[in-house]
Amino acid sequence: MAGDDLTGGHQQELRRGTVVLACLIRLRTPDYGYALLESLNALGIIVDANTLYPLLRRLEKQGLLTSEWNTAEARPRKFYRTSADGERLAAVLAADWQLIDRALTRLTEGDER
Amino acid sequence: MTTTTLTERYLYAVGRSVPEAQRTEVARELRERIEDEVDALIEAGHAPADAERTALTRLGDPLVVAAGYVDRPLLLIGPRYFPMWWRLLKLLAAIVLPIAAAGVLIGQLVSGAAIGAAIGTTVATAIQIAVNLGFWTTLVFAVLERTTRDHDLTTTWSPDQLPDVPEPQRSNRLSELIGSLVFLGVFAALLVAQQFGLVWLADVGVAPVLNPELWSFWLPYFLALIALEVLFAVAVYASGWNWWLVAAKLVLNIAFTVPALWLLLTGQLLSAEVLEALRWPWGQAGPIVLTVIVVATIGVAVWDVIDGAIKTVRATRPRSGAPA
Repeated sequence: MAGDDLTGGHQQELRRGTVVLACLIRLRTPDYGYALLESLNALGIIVDANTLYPLLRRLEKQGLLTSEWNTAEARPRKFYRTSADGERLAAVLAADWQLIDRALTRLTEGDER
Repeated sequence: MTTTTLTERYLYAVGRSVPEAQRTEVARELRERIEDEVDALIEAGHAPADAERTALTRLGDPLVVAAGYVDRPLLLIGPRYFPMWWRLLKLLAAIVLPIAAAGVLIGQLVSGAAIGAAIGTTVATAIQIAVNLGFWTTLVFAVLERTTRDHDLTTTWSPDQLPDVPEPQRSNRLSELIGSLVFLGVFAALLVAQQFGLVWLADVGVAPVLNPELWSFWLPYFLALIALEVLFAVAVYASGWNWWLVAAKLVLNIAFTVPALWLLLTGQLLSAEVLEALRWPWGQAGPIVLTVIVVATIGVAVWDVIDGAIKTVRATRPRSGAPA
């Protein structure tokens, strides 16, 4: 049995790309960083704050998310929302994910045609 | 008790390493993030002061956070340039250091320094040169690392981005270019610095090594030639060797070698102080030394052109596909 570090490393690698997809889907309803973090973690998509915040910035820079400061509440917060480009990407990524899922299922069941 | 909170100090630390235009926005985003996390920690049962400390600890080194905001590399020379940098550094150390050390040692001994002092000065100068080689080479690569960016890893790469002609020589040419630029820079600096005396010619003191009258024309002329050599080195790097460049090299080398040797042979090159310190002329040894210098200089200049010609022939010859 592989050590915990090794397992953790591979899990992290496997999950890395799925966080982007999860963000793009989740941010169809605008939300701010910490709320997004909590809701993803509640769903079992474990992501670190030091990964998520820079990721949000990068996706915004790439035009996949748009942002807006909400100053209505006591604390100003930056709300992110999935852009049209982001939607298109999410559709493609989701299709990919399903393809991989189906392929892995077939592999597991020994039906390799 | 301090009035500024840890958070304020953190935001200040990040802000310092972020360009002013981005500072407000970065601070605003980080403040939201820190305060949200602190609230969550307090809700989970942490004391407020402890919560702030924990949140900032999790956020990590402000320098790293700031670098993330401005896409600044957190390394001096990355994997793209490291092998080239390392190879060039070893090459320069292996070639320049022994030559310079031998030159200094001979200069010292010729000007009548005691053997111990001569070795001391040689070692000191060699260390100085080594440090300079390391520093300037590293500086060039560090600048390269920061000015030439790979495309963002998330942009898709397509075969269209391949260069028209595969150029396996390109990376060699870059190290050649950097080698030439470092050499020309040191040479130009020496031409100017000699005016104030050179350390390893202690006998001469602060007197100029070269004849000061040369400043009226010849020294600026040589400096201009060095500038042309820089352009030439860049041209070789940009387009690779071809016969036009070989011809240009020939012209440049003639333009340099002929006047330099003429000045040397007519006794105009070195200053009176240096000639005196060297106790020139050295009787019967004088003509021999001069002959050696002339032959060596012409040899280097000719070889330089031949080397260019060989590279041109290699570059224009079609590469063989399959191994024999």
